[in-house]
Amino acid sequence: MTTKILVALTLLAGAVQAQTVTGKAFGTYVNAAGVTSQSPVATLPSTGGMATGQADAFGVAGAVDAQALNAVTTGVADNKKSGAQSTSELEQVSAAGGAITADVVTAVATAYFGQFTGGSDGEGSGFANLIVNGETITTEVAPNTQVDLPGVGYAILNEQLQTGNGLTSYGITVNMIHVVLQNALGLTTGEIIIGSASSSVAR
Amino acid sequence: MNQARHLSLALGACAAVLLAAGCQKDVASPSGRTITAGIKPGGGCANFRLTGGGRVDKLEPETGKSPPSSHDFATFGFQARPESGCPSTNAGSGNIEWNEHLDQPFIQGGGFAFHGRVTFFSIPDDGTQSNPQCGRFGGTGRFNPRNGANQDNVPFEVKHACDVAEPGVQKDHIHIVIGPFADGSTYFRHSLLTGGNIQWHRLTGNN
Repeated sequence: MTTKILVALTLLAGAVQAQTVTGKAFGTYVNAAGVTSQSPVATLPSTGGMATGQADAFGVAGAVDAQALNAVTTGVADNKKSGAQSTSELEQVSAAGGAITADVVTAVATAYFGQFTGGSDGEGSGFANLIVNGETITTEVAPNTQVDLPGVGYAILNEQLQTGNGLTSYGITVNMIHVVLQNALGLTTGEIIIGSASSSVAR
Repeated sequence: MNQARHLSLALGACAAVLLAAGCQKDVASPSGRTITAGIKPGGGCANFRLTGGGRVDKLEPETGKSPPSSHDFATFGFQARPESGCPSTNAGSGNIEWNEHLDQPFIQGGGFAFHGRVTFFSIPDDGTQSNPQCGRFGGTGRFNPRNGANQDNVPFEVKHACDVAEPGVQKDHIHIVIGPFADGSTYFRHSLLTGGNIQWHRLTGNN
């Protein structure tokens, strides 16, 4: 009973408290063989608004090749409701030496507060014509699907990482392709992230 | 709100008959109106602003995501607001990014990106104005087809962007018209969100 009252009071107080939002999106990030490279990043201003990061093409030999990279993040915070929504899209994607390819990679990360409730999700994220290890994937890829990439390491597809405490803060990062590079001993040597979008809200 | 949605559904149904996806050569906007760069359309003044972003797939009244192989979807992000609280001119500001993936011959294939700058902002006049959390805005921008020459100063109009609920998936909806392009064709998409959110915020002294 006491807990319920405290939660209700917290939510009521939150309804009139200043809120904050963050948003970030980018097409590709590569950390391999001692080299780090990243396509343009869209970062939401702390006051909200909109930011974009775009490139016609991006490539790192043997790691990633992509075209039409578009990252967008928008959001607003006020004392009643807040929201941040970030998207990252790429076309003609090839990763890890062609072990993973896709016509289109789309990441969508959404976080919001209504007057009394909040949440975050990766709804809208997906692939078009995804091929992994030569096998075409025609169904929706469930969040956090891990696949082995022989000779490379492994990949987490539609990686969704929830953030926030679920009461006064909510957030999510969606990485549509997260390749973990490993050596012959199974030790991590680098990573490739393709199609990344993050959003969070807090009060 | 229900009345507004019914009209939206009716418009969407017309659109769905015209085309399986969101664009077709020589198709006027669903309301039958044309839009002209620099001309502020009707609609009452607004004392709120809108932000949004996410993904849209099937045209209303259909819902849900399109089959991935169809490439029949778009993603977007925007912010739009009146220049001041309820300006008599309906002058507005903001930006929109719209990325369409549908492969249609009239846009040279492979979809397009559109980067628009908002110059007007008002309440809608297409029936959705009965929902006080719908807004309308437009302006001009750069049309950047995947396989073709860029076109500048292309008019666009978001006939409505509606914040129906939190979260907004399968509830919030948006109707955009871009064009006419140099060849006279016009693009539109009118859909419920399949990802993301649209938020309505009343203007205050600080924002």
